[in-house]
Amino acid sequence: MSFHHLDQFAHVGSAVTRVPPAGRLVGTVVLALAVATLPPGAWSQLGFLALLSLALLAIARIPPAVVLARLAWPLGFVLLASAALLVVIPGDPVVRLGPLTLTAQGADRFAAVMGRAMVALLPAVLLVSTTGFPELLQGLRDLRVPIAVATALGLAYRLLYLTVDELERLQRAARSRNAGGGAARRRHLVAAMAGATLGRAFVRAERTHAAMLARGFRGTLPLLHVTPWTAGAALNLVGVCGLALAVAASARLP
Amino acid sequence: MTPLVALHDVTYRYPDRTPALAGVTLAIEPGERVALLGPTGAGKSTLLQLLNGLLRPDTGAVRMDGTAITDDTVAAVRRRVGLVFQNPDDQLFLPSLIEDVAFGPLNAGATRDAASARAHAVLESLGLSAAHDRAAHHLSGGERRLAALATVLVSDPDLLALDEPSGDLDARSRRRLLDILGGRREALLVATHDLELVRGLCRRALVLVGGRLEWDGALDALLADRAMLEGFGLVA
Repeated sequence: MSFHHLDQFAHVGSAVTRVPPAGRLVGTVVLALAVATLPPGAWSQLGFLALLSLALLAIARIPPAVVLARLAWPLGFVLLASAALLVVIPGDPVVRLGPLTLTAQGADRFAAVMGRAMVALLPAVLLVSTTGFPELLQGLRDLRVPIAVATALGLAYRLLYLTVDELERLQRAARSRNAGGGAARRRHLVAAMAGATLGRAFVRAERTHAAMLARGFRGTLPLLHVTPWTAGAALNLVGVCGLALAVAASARLP
Repeated sequence: MTPLVALHDVTYRYPDRTPALAGVTLAIEPGERVALLGPTGAGKSTLLQLLNGLLRPDTGAVRMDGTAITDDTVAAVRRRVGLVFQNPDDQLFLPSLIEDVAFGPLNAGATRDAASARAHAVLESLGLSAAHDRAAHHLSGGERRLAALATVLVSDPDLLALDEPSGDLDARSRRRLLDILGGRREALLVATHDLELVRGLCRRALVLVGGRLEWDGALDALLADRAMLEGFGLVA
């Protein structure tokens, strides 16, 4: 199991990576909010925000194929969740499929949801592609997220792998003894393995805590790398956020 | 001369009241290399954790340079006693190796630049420079062992306390570990079942059996006495 590929563009120097992580987090939220608050039918504004996000992805030198691949999974979920809109929204019939009637209004709503989801996901793809996990933690701490939350997230990132490894070891041990049988036995096995994994994760967490204390841990994870704010980075962030908010506001003008 | 670390009549029980150490008295001098031997469950890991201040004795005292380990002195003691845990996965908990190695110096108040420079230097000395930005789960077993060692070497401890350092190492990694440890100048306390590892590394041996210190003497003399090794459960 590996998430290492996620932030593979974090070390590519660009105007995006020169913005400190807190700024990247804020920019992502602002862009996503700008998209989310667009009224229905604001297609030109949606298109502009899509172009803005694509431009940022290009500046960060993230290949289009990577962007598409990272959009595919979340968009798949949105597609599944919103497909019903095509037939449940009443309106002018376009196509009849047995008992289901696809309406023009349903198609409009579906396109709006998919379009917004896609454009709102672009800045998220930008964030995870350009920001390593330690940087994200730094960003959260700079944004005054409670230290306990940021520390827990940081440790969870590492412990997740260990827990999955533990689970895989248990699964291998079960398979080696021909685990299987009926559904009831499989359910029992899964529950037993989940319990054992949690128990072991707890013990491991205790040992890890001891290892942290042994090296002087006093409640706060120190950060090694900090991206400093520069006037250029701040101006870029303000410019992008201002533009996104202005576009969103323009959709509300009479 | 005041020893680097000393245990005086130390007794420790686990939280369930099972005795772990009973009446242990010993001293380790600066630069001394000591093998801590004993069968599984003898109390070796507990003794190492007492030296680092992770555990406190129920009775008796643990002293470093003559000063007892207390809440006031434990931070300084942890900077001077580098404890390497049995399982490197317990010791490597941050998203990248360089952060894990810099963790101790940063906690001790080093600046980011100084901590980073020291961490990079230690990784280079161990041949791990290329892995500095990798997560622990992307390292091999041997690399993880060395990485765990790096996390304490970076703080220039006066005592290296290693818990089963050669566990699951292949022959080449084991040789490398021996070369690295052989070149260190700080005091060394190696808790292990691996008699071959300590044969070329240590002159003195401590043997714990059932929480009691049953032997404190020359390692060569111990290794030469097959009957005694069998009696202590160190060989079958």
